[in-house]
Amino acid sequence: MTQERNDADVAFIRALAELLNENDLTELNVKREYGESDSLNVRVSRMTAPPPAPAPTYAPPPAAPAQTAPVSEAPAVERTSGDPAEHPGAVTSPMVGTAYLSPEPGADAFITVGAQVAEGQTLLIIEAMKTMNHIPAPRAGTVKRILVTDGSAVEYGAPLVIVE
Amino acid sequence: MSAEPWPEGVGKRILESVDSTNAEAARVAASLRGPEWILARRQTAGRGRRGRGWTDPAGNFAATLVMHPQEPPEHLALRSFVAALALQDALIAATGRPPGFALKWPNDVLLNGGKLAGILLETIPTPGALHLAVGIGVNLRHAPAPEPGAVAPVDLMSATGVALDPEDLLNLLAPAFARWEGRLQTYGFEPLRQAFLQRAARLGQRITARTVSETHDGTFDGIDARGALILTTARGRITVPAADVFFDENEARPCS
Repeated sequence: MTQERNDADVAFIRALAELLNENDLTELNVKREYGESDSLNVRVSRMTAPPPAPAPTYAPPPAAPAQTAPVSEAPAVERTSGDPAEHPGAVTSPMVGTAYLSPEPGADAFITVGAQVAEGQTLLIIEAMKTMNHIPAPRAGTVKRILVTDGSAVEYGAPLVIVE
Repeated sequence: MSAEPWPEGVGKRILESVDSTNAEAARVAASLRGPEWILARRQTAGRGRRGRGWTDPAGNFAATLVMHPQEPPEHLALRSFVAALALQDALIAATGRPPGFALKWPNDVLLNGGKLAGILLETIPTPGALHLAVGIGVNLRHAPAPEPGAVAPVDLMSATGVALDPEDLLNLLAPAFARWEGRLQTYGFEPLRQAFLQRAARLGQRITARTVSETHDGTFDGIDARGALILTTARGRITVPAADVFFDENEARPCS
């Protein structure tokens, strides 16, 4: 489903933008292959002084052949293992469904970035077939990043939260 | 009334009144040694999906089964179909009237095209174990006020003239649930998928699936091996794991 991909891509780009800021880089180029004819090219760069405002170049309408604009002059940064799914602290989705960050609309989110969580504490909910799956923290730690937005569609294995 | 005996090893707890049977399930889950049904004659704070209220006047059915499933989390949601199939069986057994009952993805039981029951499943994270609460509400005596756009609620008494006591329904539902659960354990999801499609309202017809961010109009073309809704839209075939499903209002006619 296209919306799921879009949301996953948006989360991915957001994570890249954070990586850029955290490591004080000026530019990040990443290409992600989803299949033979489907890929995502992202370039996140920082202009000058004003910090965040990442300008993602968003390539693929899925199903269409990869018409990835050749953005890169030289892949400036080779720190490409910024894929949050590879992060040791990543909590990934055990199912396909819709992610909710709060127990119900209007309520406080289960977690915020910087919050301490205990092992087993609910980080978020993923709904599938009217089943509300509470996703527990696999270990105690600090919430470093939240990689999904409320109501977004998530795929199996998609990184949800980073707890360190 | 109960043709099938109460399932072995399954507990039964009857409460006069509780906030919500799913909330009670969360409180007691860690102390239970096996599966248990919790029935409340009144719910004072019944809950629907995503914080929606669920009103429970006296005489309606409100119960939750607490389970301790051992399989991977992605399979838990298949209990939605176990619950819907079992509840339809129990209602047919109670009323002796198979025609008129139908299922709406993923787990609503319809009667004469109206919403008769709601089912909400929630996992209960407890230290070292995972519990699943299968909450089931049935309008036995009273139907809530209709909501715009949604399938109109209906109650069993008005629609069939049958006055069914909640505990009598539980005595039919518990064995039916155990029977479908046994099929799931033994044969996997496929027989449940087939049974669901045989009983599904609006199969092959136009429906609307609304997620938090999108609305999809399309033809209801079945459910996949995970239980997700298959919809053929103008933009192609999609599968939807979580959504509210709406039928065309002007086509609202009895199902099956």
